[in-house]
Amino acid sequence: MADFFRRLPVYLLLDCSGSMMGEPIEAVRQGVKALLSELRGDPQALETAYLSVITFDSQARQIMPLTELMQFQEPEIKASGATALGGALSVLIDCIDQEVRKSTETQKGDWRPLVFILTDGSPSDMEEFNKAVARLKDVKVANIIACAAGSKADTTYLRQITENVLMMNTLSAGDMAQFFAWVSGSIKMSSKSVDAKPGGPIELPPPPQGFVVVP
Amino acid sequence: MGLAEATLTDGRKLSYVIKDNPPRGGMKHTYFAPDKSYVVQFFNNPEIARDPNIHKRLEAIIGKYNPTLSEAAGGARGNSEAMARYFSNSFCWPTAIVREPEFGIVCPAYPANFFFRQDASEVLELWGKDKRSNWFTSRNRRFLQPKELGDFRSMLQMSIVLARAIRRMHQAGLAHSDLSCNNVLIDPQTGSCVVIDIDSLVVPGLFPPEVVGTRGYIAPEVMESMSLPFGDPERKLPCAYTDLHALAVLLYEYLLLRHPLLGPKIFSADSPEEDDYLALGPKALFIEDPKDQSNRPDDLGVTIGDLGPALEELFLRAFVDGLHHPNARPTAMEWEKALVKTWDLLHPCENPDCAAKWFVLHDTAHPVCPFCGHPVRKDRIVRLHLKSQLRGSAGRWAGAGEVNVYHNMPLFRWHLVANTFPDEKADRTMLAYACRYGDQWLLVNHGVRGMKSPGGSLVPEGQALLLKDGAVFLASGEEKGLLIEVSCGK
Repeated sequence: MADFFRRLPVYLLLDCSGSMMGEPIEAVRQGVKALLSELRGDPQALETAYLSVITFDSQARQIMPLTELMQFQEPEIKASGATALGGALSVLIDCIDQEVRKSTETQKGDWRPLVFILTDGSPSDMEEFNKAVARLKDVKVANIIACAAGSKADTTYLRQITENVLMMNTLSAGDMAQFFAWVSGSIKMSSKSVDAKPGGPIELPPPPQGFVVVP
Repeated sequence: MGLAEATLTDGRKLSYVIKDNPPRGGMKHTYFAPDKSYVVQFFNNPEIARDPNIHKRLEAIIGKYNPTLSEAAGGARGNSEAMARYFSNSFCWPTAIVREPEFGIVCPAYPANFFFRQDASEVLELWGKDKRSNWFTSRNRRFLQPKELGDFRSMLQMSIVLARAIRRMHQAGLAHSDLSCNNVLIDPQTGSCVVIDIDSLVVPGLFPPEVVGTRGYIAPEVMESMSLPFGDPERKLPCAYTDLHALAVLLYEYLLLRHPLLGPKIFSADSPEEDDYLALGPKALFIEDPKDQSNRPDDLGVTIGDLGPALEELFLRAFVDGLHHPNARPTAMEWEKALVKTWDLLHPCENPDCAAKWFVLHDTAHPVCPFCGHPVRKDRIVRLHLKSQLRGSAGRWAGAGEVNVYHNMPLFRWHLVANTFPDEKADRTMLAYACRYGDQWLLVNHGVRGMKSPGGSLVPEGQALLLKDGAVFLASGEEKGLLIEVSCGK
């Protein structure tokens, strides 16, 4: 098929640290499943969105490379260890660099990637985190939305990554489901929205009830 | 889940089912009636709901501009019961305003055929999802069962229904303002479509809605001025002219299954946003532009030239002359006429594996199905040239249309009598039909008075005349009965 269709790369950065063990990590698994099913049911998202999953515990790794929705296999997600958020951001920057097509004179580039970060704590790899944040500032290639989940999540770090920070009060299955529903809403909206003027801020649906936008 | 009650402005009460995360569009979110026969919709932005302009606009839309309600019942002026019934099938028109618990509207639910059934796809779970057009016109087609996809004839039929619906709106001075693949649901299997999200209509004399539109359907001039604030005189707002751009895009997508402006040309290497903005806005270029081929995909396949002269002309006007000149765009009425004309030139493809099944046989000198390349047998080509009597000059006749004949093809009043048009008022009773009998072609009278054979003798109802090359006969004994001349493939 013609190669002049733009993709919308979507990266999920999921916290799989030990504190997520039990119900929260199960809720994340269900969330990814629901997200996939929602997006596959939306014609515009199905055509444009490509999905990747990066998880982080004591280490960060891309467990699903950027994949079109119909080919996407649900990844195995387990919880253990610390919160290498900095490492996850470094992996993200490298993945974007390798996977996202750039606009050139001869190639239609991909849309600006959408990145969703979900964490219930604060980074355990501060040095790496500071380095990654500095790198992110330079790159400015993605629209990043960060969600602090539960009472232990520290939004001050997330605020260093992006202006779009959400807070959900609990790690309950219900809240987690709402978060993933909102993520799919945001992806659907991005896949059909018009960028009124190049480089303008992205439009996102209002956050679910009980979620607070951190100013 | 629970039941809630909506109070309408006329005091009536309707119940609806409360659900977490109700389906949410750009403007509104939707709750269903317990029996799913109607929906109750509330605005996402409460400020919009408080705007008195919106209230006035919706009252006008539901009342005096409503083509799905007869004039007698409080609908549009001049609207008969039959016309209201006709348009009830092509619009999902709001029926009432909700006052409590908050401002909102009531709309009929879409008919069942606009929701996917369980067996629509083997690889996707689409059960219950609405049939937005881009399931069928984009690459997503490959995920659907072949029977969902309809054929070229059903897509053409749908195109006529859509053009007619928009013509009716524009005729009343209304503009939809957000026509797009999301706001027209289509059912290719039955060749039907329904226009939804009627609440952001532009109503004459009232404040226009602040809609932007949907990527791919926004007129280039609107894209270009989008960064200006509402109220700036330079800002182009959605109107009937911008509808005409969106309509042409939708029709092109239905008939050729691709977008008319999204091609391989790189407009900017700076960023995808900039490139996209130029491609759909100030620099927009038709992928089939006859002079500038820089946006033309290599594997174009069937082109507007294969759709016959009437549609080719209109697509050139829409996407070449009128792309950046809104008043050069064909009107919905012109589209409706050209599509109907093209319908009469349909020919069934004899290749059993042809997915399109039908094509426009406009060039009888080179009769080939453009979709699969299958040639047409000469003895299958029979064309009726319709002629109407020139007023005041007895015995002089002028061309009034052309019809390709195929086995069991029905003919209606508009094929037999001058100045009749298959619009919402037309009598859709079959009056005659063509059929192949042995190796001859017959025209069977099924209810026309005064049909005469080429020899001049009466052809009574139930009897047939022979369609032979060069034969000329009177189709109807009515005052404005057409003369038909037959030509056969040679």
